[in-house]
Amino acid sequence: MATAKTRILTPQEAAPVERSRFDAEKINRPTITFWQGAWYKLRKNPIAISAMILLAILLFFILFGPALSGENYIDIDAKVKNLAPNSTYWFGTDTMGRDLFSRVWIGARLSLIIALVCSAIQLIVGCAYGGIMAYSGGIVDNVMMRILEIVNSFPSLLITLLVMMVVGKNVGGLLIAMCITSWCGTARQVRGQLMQLRESEYVQAAQMIGASPMRIITKHLLPNTISILILNLCSSIPSYIFTEASLSFLGMGLSDVISLGVLISEGKSKMSFYPWQLLFPAVVLCLTVLAFNLLGDALRDALDPRTH
Amino acid sequence: MNMLKYTLKRLVVMILTLFIIATATFFLLAATPGDALSARVEKLPDNVAERLYAKYGLDKPIMERYVVTMKGLLKGDFGESIIYQGQTVQSIIAEKGPISARLGIQQMLLGVTVGLLLGILAAVKKGTIWDYLVVFLSILLISVPNLVFALLLQAFFAGNLGWFPVIGWPSENIWFGGWKYTVLPTLAGCFSYIASYARLLKASMLDVMNQDYILTAESKGLSRKEVVLHHVIRNSFIPIVTQLPMSVAMCITGSFFIESVFSIPGLGLYYVNAVAAQDVPIVMGETVILAALYIIVVFITDILYTVVDPRIRISGGKR
Repeated sequence: MATAKTRILTPQEAAPVERSRFDAEKINRPTITFWQGAWYKLRKNPIAISAMILLAILLFFILFGPALSGENYIDIDAKVKNLAPNSTYWFGTDTMGRDLFSRVWIGARLSLIIALVCSAIQLIVGCAYGGIMAYSGGIVDNVMMRILEIVNSFPSLLITLLVMMVVGKNVGGLLIAMCITSWCGTARQVRGQLMQLRESEYVQAAQMIGASPMRIITKHLLPNTISILILNLCSSIPSYIFTEASLSFLGMGLSDVISLGVLISEGKSKMSFYPWQLLFPAVVLCLTVLAFNLLGDALRDALDPRTH
Repeated sequence: MNMLKYTLKRLVVMILTLFIIATATFFLLAATPGDALSARVEKLPDNVAERLYAKYGLDKPIMERYVVTMKGLLKGDFGESIIYQGQTVQSIIAEKGPISARLGIQQMLLGVTVGLLLGILAAVKKGTIWDYLVVFLSILLISVPNLVFALLLQAFFAGNLGWFPVIGWPSENIWFGGWKYTVLPTLAGCFSYIASYARLLKASMLDVMNQDYILTAESKGLSRKEVVLHHVIRNSFIPIVTQLPMSVAMCITGSFFIESVFSIPGLGLYYVNAVAAQDVPIVMGETVILAALYIIVVFITDILYTVVDPRIRISGGKR
């Protein structure tokens, strides 16, 4: 066994290390919370980083794009209609001579706002409904669950179309129509998670040492439900953007305003002659959705407690 | 016995659900401003208009119309189309259903097959370039709406290259004729299946690979191929089997947007037109039939769970 590397320890090295008996319990590594851990994992994931950069770029253009180009996107100007992309009109112009670059970002702005508002409604209603179900339990839970099941079995696209007809083809109508069945999934998930948490040992332990219900809700139940809600948000935003675009494309969604769906449906009619009028809004829509999907996928890994 | 009780209970809920859906649809249609005839009667003399309204029962008060409609629904009689004279819901579904069904089935067969193969590839080669490619591809595919795929395929392969017809659908030999018309719509619709099934199967396979019985199989000395073929894939198909009926229901109801892009005379496009024209009997009929289909599929899915996964047992309806 004796090799060239073997050497005899000096007495100082061989002496036992001085330590008090408390040191054994000392935790040298700083404790990190769940969120710090999640953030660390997210930072180390190149896909998440690129998704966030993409999202930041898109947000920058959505906020400042129209101001950057400074061209008009409302007034009709017959002199410059259907231009190809050039140095003045970066995405070209549409059939009425309006700057497509500004229109695309204005449209993306509206589409994103609609998606965000719908997601917020979905989360709030879903949380409230799921929370009440989990909190009440028993007969209330049972009845609310039946109601949820019935609403959930509405064919969502058909109901959305019908509601759009009733409330009119405007932004408010679209919000109502798209939210009418979407909260069911969230409510079910929130209820499931809360029920599971309520039975968990640490919540029972907290109850046993006399924590108030308010403390249990804010310290244990809410933080452990937030990751579900974040994932919900990341998957619902793309689906609302899709639905808005598709409805507007069918002529059953928005009209008179600028949204990505309206632009795509305008571009479709000119597709064979001026393909960029379709291409630019479609690409912006896909990139936005792609950014949210990539981020959602990375978050799913980062927020999974089993992988910490 | 337990199973029978469960089925009966579900049946009652299903009928109640259908009743509520029919009621909601009726009143939503009634609340819509204008009606199906308002455009047509504009230029007609008053007495003709009155007779037209009387013919479709639109002159009666709303509650009476509701009762008549619901009675008709019970007998399976949805009434006659107001826009397309002489057509009933049954005749329209018999005519348009196969068109949407063929499109949906072709999309599903292609999409699910490719999706499952990609899912297996990603799971078996986990951590390699293949895995990342599949993951990236599936995220990319779900990030592009069917609608945009359809438009791009149409513009490029039909418009620029001229390989396929731009719009249309075979009118003869509904199930097997006119393949060239169906290629682009099928492609446009299959991407979402590819993405969702690849992700589903990969996640499920990775889950199974972490189970103890796979370790057992490996320690018995089985080759990796045998383990994957006989243990992993079989067990990881549980979520796939339960997802399939939902896809079938979705594919029969038709893909509204693709039908709209390629002018395919299917159920989806027809429904949109019927809603826009406020053709009450057709909209009622289609909604109720499609909802019934959907509800039945959900029921079958729940039953399937217990069949394919012996760990789940029905316990008196409590979940």
